[in-house]
Amino acid sequence: MSAPASGQLPVPPVSVTGAAVHLPGLSAADIPGGPAEPAVAPAEAYRVLGRKGLLAKEPATRLAMCAAQTALGLGIGKVAGPVAGAEGTGVVVASNLGNVATVCNLVDTVRTEGKDGVSIMEGPNASSNVVASSIALRFGFTGPNFLVSSGATAGLDAVRLGSLLVRAGRTHRCVVVGAEPDDDIATALRPGIRAAAAAVVLEPDADGPRLGTLTRSADAPTTGTVTGHAGETYGAEGVVELATAVSGDAVPGSVSCGDHQDGYATLTVESR
Amino acid sequence: MHAPPSETGTSAAVTGAAMTTCFGDTDRTVDALLAGESGVAPLRGMDTEAMGVVYGYPIADGDESQSRASGWLTGVIRDATAGLELDGRRVAVVVGSGLRELRSLERWHRDGAAFGVRQLHFDEAVRAALPGVAEVLTVSNACSASGYALAVGMDLLSADEADVVVAAGTDSRTESMLTMIGKIGDELTAAVEPFDVDRTGVLLGEGAAAVVIEREARTPLGWIRSVGLTCDAHHETAPDQAGVVGAMRDAHERAGVTPADIGLVVAHGTGTALNDPTEAGALTETFGTSRPQITAIKGATGHTSGGASLMNTIVALTAMRTGTIPAVTGLRTPIEQAAGLNLVVGDAAPTTATLAQVDAFGFGGVNAVTVVEVA
Repeated sequence: MSAPASGQLPVPPVSVTGAAVHLPGLSAADIPGGPAEPAVAPAEAYRVLGRKGLLAKEPATRLAMCAAQTALGLGIGKVAGPVAGAEGTGVVVASNLGNVATVCNLVDTVRTEGKDGVSIMEGPNASSNVVASSIALRFGFTGPNFLVSSGATAGLDAVRLGSLLVRAGRTHRCVVVGAEPDDDIATALRPGIRAAAAAVVLEPDADGPRLGTLTRSADAPTTGTVTGHAGETYGAEGVVELATAVSGDAVPGSVSCGDHQDGYATLTVESR
Repeated sequence: MHAPPSETGTSAAVTGAAMTTCFGDTDRTVDALLAGESGVAPLRGMDTEAMGVVYGYPIADGDESQSRASGWLTGVIRDATAGLELDGRRVAVVVGSGLRELRSLERWHRDGAAFGVRQLHFDEAVRAALPGVAEVLTVSNACSASGYALAVGMDLLSADEADVVVAAGTDSRTESMLTMIGKIGDELTAAVEPFDVDRTGVLLGEGAAAVVIEREARTPLGWIRSVGLTCDAHHETAPDQAGVVGAMRDAHERAGVTPADIGLVVAHGTGTALNDPTEAGALTETFGTSRPQITAIKGATGHTSGGASLMNTIVALTAMRTGTIPAVTGLRTPIEQAAGLNLVVGDAAPTTATLAQVDAFGFGGVNAVTVVEVA
């Protein structure tokens, strides 16, 4: 059980300059930060991303790419080469279950057919950080690249880490993404989980809401859940909450994520 | 109280360190490296024929009913923090892992072993060693994970968001990753031979490492001067020289050092077709005419993935403190791209280095390069 702890965020200020929520089936009418039309499922991610580069990409990776592309304001379709400001842009992804189905499928295959039955295309997916590195590869982001997989607080842990990277001067812009899948393995491990992604773009002292203080607690905070719409999004939750808060009319305010086992994290968000 | 050596004040004092490898604890591992031993052995408990990988550098505890990566992590954190006064201080633990507890997931899925989603991250394993810790963060950053964890730790200290940081890394072998290694390899690999012309590929090692850092200390074990981070954004699995060079230069810049200041490099050196020429090229490009001594340990320990970067950091600090660098186990004839490099081949070599560079590169092009200084 987490001991209560807190840290100051941030000096100099870190601003949220972009946000997007991608919950398949939900649109902006359902949740602030959602797309105009209901968000597409992983199998239809090509509608947002174009067809190139999606082969063998896992569902969480596809959703993460959709959210990142939208939060960056890059519109619909294929991205040709590195995007503006790509050099040095950092990526922090929160995801716990992105590749658990791939890992289990690989073991199923090797035990029944041996390695000859395994597709070489699945190779990158055996490594848990594939979501984060895939975003770097798609958009040309050469800055620090992290996958945070710290359980139910992963989303706000990732936001906090992104903020730290900006303040440490490691990056001029950090794209923070939360993404989880809802395959059979993920669902068995985290009952009720829904496929989800969200993204926020963090920049030093810019136009946009500012990140405030991160607090950790063992007990559920009495405030701080903005949406209630999203359902169980586990590692994505903190980013879904923050993206929703800054897209809707919930700033200043606070956002939270966590559960009774992993503890809770709460982040205040201030007006510009 | 010694002030940090860096004028920028961003250095951190190392106040604890521990590792566990196929050889055993830190002292045993250092002795084995100096003696040129190899921990390579046949893998047991898995269908090696089906995976196409027969050998590894296993920790011979064999009991897969336990969460092995978690157990080793608990052990090295306990060892690294032994004797330190932590009460009343904000202690953050940053764990880097390539494969998390995916081995336990595999056994749950196929063998009916007990498993819960919380085991995928290392909160419980950390708190088994340090119950009062303020926060635990798990980053899954492939083969450079513990270098990335150390970078987070440096930033937490700089931002005054922690008083003490334990950076750690851990990994056990997984059936899924071994299968992909077997799939990629053209021929059966019997040993890791970093930078050797006859190398055939990588084999997985096992183990964990932990390093404790603080802003200052009375009698530090050494100093972390910087960690440079980049991502290649070039290829899903193949390394890219530009990204690797970028991480080296970022590390040097952050530490306020030039390549000529660095006397020792502990290389990533995985023995793969792609890593070794890329790393050799990056070292040649970065260091130019200055020729630091270069060693690598994966021929002895295997590729320990999550723990690899911090194991190299401990080896670098130990080598500078004792004045002796272990040779590259498994290296006989260097590849052409390494022709201009000062690799330690054959026997352990004396050194007067006071600054060392530690390389770590991972799947997805995630690079972490550390600069460390002797105490």
